[in-house]
Amino acid sequence: MGSRPPRSEPPVRTASPRRRSPYRGYVYVLPAFAVYLAFAVLPALHTAYLSLFEWDGVTLGDWVGLGNYQEILQDSILRRSVFNALVLVVFFSFVPIALGLAMTGLLARYRRPGMGAYRFLFMLPQVVPLVAVGVTWRWLYGDDGLVNQALGAVGLDGVTRAWLGDFGAALIAVGLVGTWVLSGLCMMLFLSGVQKVDPHLYEAARLDGAGPVREFVSVTLPHLRGELAVAMTVTTVAALASFDIVYVTTNGGPGEQTTVPGLLVYRLAFSEGKVGLAAALAVVLGCLILAIVYLINRLSRSES
Amino acid sequence: MDRTPWVRRRVAAAACAVALVLPLTACDALTPGSAAAVPGPRSVPSSTAVPDDDITLRLQFADAPPMVDALIAAFEKGHPTIKVEPQYKTFSDYVQNLKLTMTSDTAPDIAQYAVGMTDLAADGHILDLSPYREAYGWDDAIPPVSLDQLTAGQTSKATGGRALFGVPAGLSMTGIYYNKKLAERAGIHAPPRTLAEFEDQLAAAKKADLTPLGVGALDSGGIHLWAALLNQTMPTDDYWDWVNGTKGATVEKPAGTTASELVVEWGRKGYYNDSANGTAQVDSTAQFAKGDSVFLINGNWAAGQLATAMKDNVGFFPMPGERASDPIVASGFSVSYAVSSRTEHPEAAGAFLDFLTSPEAGQIISDNGFLPPNPEAVAKPEGVLADIAEAHRRAVADDGITTFPDFAAPAMLDRLRSGIQKLIADRVEPADYLDSLQDEWEEHHGQ
Repeated sequence: MGSRPPRSEPPVRTASPRRRSPYRGYVYVLPAFAVYLAFAVLPALHTAYLSLFEWDGVTLGDWVGLGNYQEILQDSILRRSVFNALVLVVFFSFVPIALGLAMTGLLARYRRPGMGAYRFLFMLPQVVPLVAVGVTWRWLYGDDGLVNQALGAVGLDGVTRAWLGDFGAALIAVGLVGTWVLSGLCMMLFLSGVQKVDPHLYEAARLDGAGPVREFVSVTLPHLRGELAVAMTVTTVAALASFDIVYVTTNGGPGEQTTVPGLLVYRLAFSEGKVGLAAALAVVLGCLILAIVYLINRLSRSES
Repeated sequence: MDRTPWVRRRVAAAACAVALVLPLTACDALTPGSAAAVPGPRSVPSSTAVPDDDITLRLQFADAPPMVDALIAAFEKGHPTIKVEPQYKTFSDYVQNLKLTMTSDTAPDIAQYAVGMTDLAADGHILDLSPYREAYGWDDAIPPVSLDQLTAGQTSKATGGRALFGVPAGLSMTGIYYNKKLAERAGIHAPPRTLAEFEDQLAAAKKADLTPLGVGALDSGGIHLWAALLNQTMPTDDYWDWVNGTKGATVEKPAGTTASELVVEWGRKGYYNDSANGTAQVDSTAQFAKGDSVFLINGNWAAGQLATAMKDNVGFFPMPGERASDPIVASGFSVSYAVSSRTEHPEAAGAFLDFLTSPEAGQIISDNGFLPPNPEAVAKPEGVLADIAEAHRRAVADDGITTFPDFAAPAMLDRLRSGIQKLIADRVEPADYLDSLQDEWEEHHGQ
C-alpha cells in the first residue's frame, strides 16, 4: 500500500464530479430572493422610474427626465427639510448613543438585582407604536401639559410655552421625543454587547488598578464597536426617514420648522398629486441614507 | 485559478443591467397612468324616473356617520326598492384615496364631495347634475350660493349653464364665538358691527387682562381667521376668481396685504392665546369652553359642543365688515355628495340627492348639528345655534358664503397653514406670504 503514489486530488472540492451544478446554492436562496425582489427591489426601481415623470397619480404621466430632480434642488422648503432631518440626527442618534453608553457603563459593571425590570422599562418606548408616542407627547408638550406643569412646579413659569408651536423650540421638542424612543434601544444593544466580553478582562483591568472610567474606556468601549455601528446605522436611518412622530406632533409646523423629507414625500404624493416629484425626493432621500450608512460602516470597519 | 466565480459575477452583473434597462426600453407601455376616456356619460340623463328594479347604491363618505345613517334610513322608507349601502372612511383616508377610488371600476355610486373632486370633475369621473337642478327644482330648496360652490369652475355641456357636481346635505360657516360673562367683564355688551369695533373689543379684552381671541393654528384655525379677514377686505368676486383658478386672478392685492397685516398686528398686540401655533382647533375650542379666552374663531361644527358645555354663556357672530353696511361674508362649505360616472343607477342616485333637499332630511341634518340647506323647513333652534342660523341666513341673503381658501390648489392647505403660523409669530412679511400662495396657485393653474 505504501508504495502507491498519493492520489493527485485537487485541493478544492469544487471540481468534484459529484457536484451537479455550480448554481445549486442559488436555488436555496431563490425563495427569499424572490420575495426580496418583488417587495423591495422592484418597488424601489419602480419609484426611481416614476421619478422621471410628471404624474398626478391618475391621468397619463408626462416624461420629464431629470426635471423633478432639478426642482428638488431649487426648492427652498425641500432644502430646509433636509437640514431639519440632519438636526434630528443629533437627537435621534448622537444623544441616545451617548445616553446608552453612559447607562451601560453604570449598569454593566456589576450584576445587580432587578436588572430585568430596568431593561424592560428602557425597552418600553421601543415597543409602543410611534403614532401613540406622538399623540402622548403632544399632550405632554401642550399648554397645560405635564412638561409645563413640571416647569411651573419648580418655579420656571417664565419658560413655559406650547413647545410644539414655538418657532425656536419645536424642532428640539420633536427631537427629544426621538431621544426618548431610541435611548432604550441603544442601551439594550450595548448591554447585550457587554455580555460577550470575557469577565477575565475586567478582572485583569481591576487587578491593574483601573477605576470604573478607565475600565469603561479601555475594556467595554473597544468591544462595543460592532454594536456602536449598528446603533448608529439604525438611529440615523430613523432620523433621516422620520415621519410618524413629526406627522402626529406638529405636521411640519410651525412654519417649516419641523418639516422633514419623509413628510414632504407623503404630502406630495397623496395630497398634492405630484407623484413624480415625491418619487424623486424619495430617491434622493434613499441615496442620502445609503451614503451615510456606507460612511458609518466604513468608519467602524477601518478602525478595527 | 477557477474561473467560475468570475463568470458568475459577470452573469449576475449582466442580469442586473438587463433588469435595470428593461423598464426603460419598454417606456411607452409603462408610462404611469391612463389616458383612456372615462366610460359612460358625462352628465345625468334628462329623465328623473327611477326604474322599478331592486337597486343597491353604494355611498362612500367621511363626515357625520350618525347623520348619514339616519338619512339613509329615512330615504329607504320612502323608496322601498332602493337600498343604500354606506361605506365610512376617516376623513384623511378618504381624501388620500379619493382619486384612486373614483377612477377605479369599483367606484361607489355616490361619494362625498372633497377637494380632489375638481380634478375628477374636469376628467369626467363624476356626473354633471345640472339637468336635475332644473328637473327637481333644487334652486328653491337650497340657497343657490351653496349649489354654486359645487360647479368645479365649469359650465355644463348638458344645459349650457353652470355645471353642478354635488348636492349639499349640511352646510357650514365660520365665525366668532364669544363668552358672554367674560365679554361683560371686559365691558363688551353687544357683538361688533364693524371690523374696527371688533378690534376695539379685542383691545378692551386685553386691557381687562383676559386672552382676547382663541386660535387653533396648529391645524386650520389660523386659516379660518385669515380667510374671515380676507372676506371683509377683498371683493367677493375677486376671492371667488382666485379660489376657482380664473385666469389672471391673484391674491397679491392690497386687500390680501391688509388682511395678512391684521393677522400680524393682532399677534404683535398679544390678542391671540400665547400658544396659538401649538394648539389644535379642538383644543382651542375646549380651552374657550373652559373660559380661557373671550372670543374664539371656529366654525358651526363646534356649536353643539360649546352649547352643551357653556349653555347660555356663549354667542356667535360672523366676522363684521369694514363698514356696518357691508354684506355679511363668511367662508363655509357643505357636506355634499357627488355621483360617479360609472354608476349604473344615475336616476336612483338623483332620487337620493333630491331627498337631501326635503324638509324631513333638513330636520335630520339640523338635529346632527349642521345647517340645513332649507332653514324654514326645520324647527327653530335656540341659543348659540339660533345665532348661527341667523348669521347664515343673513350671509346667504347677501350671497356672502365663500368657500375655504385651500380649495384654490391641492397644495394650498399646507402653504396657508405654515404661512399663517409665520404671520401669527411675526416671522414673515405679508408680501412674501402672499407671494408664496400665488406661486403655488400659478403652478397649479399653469399660468
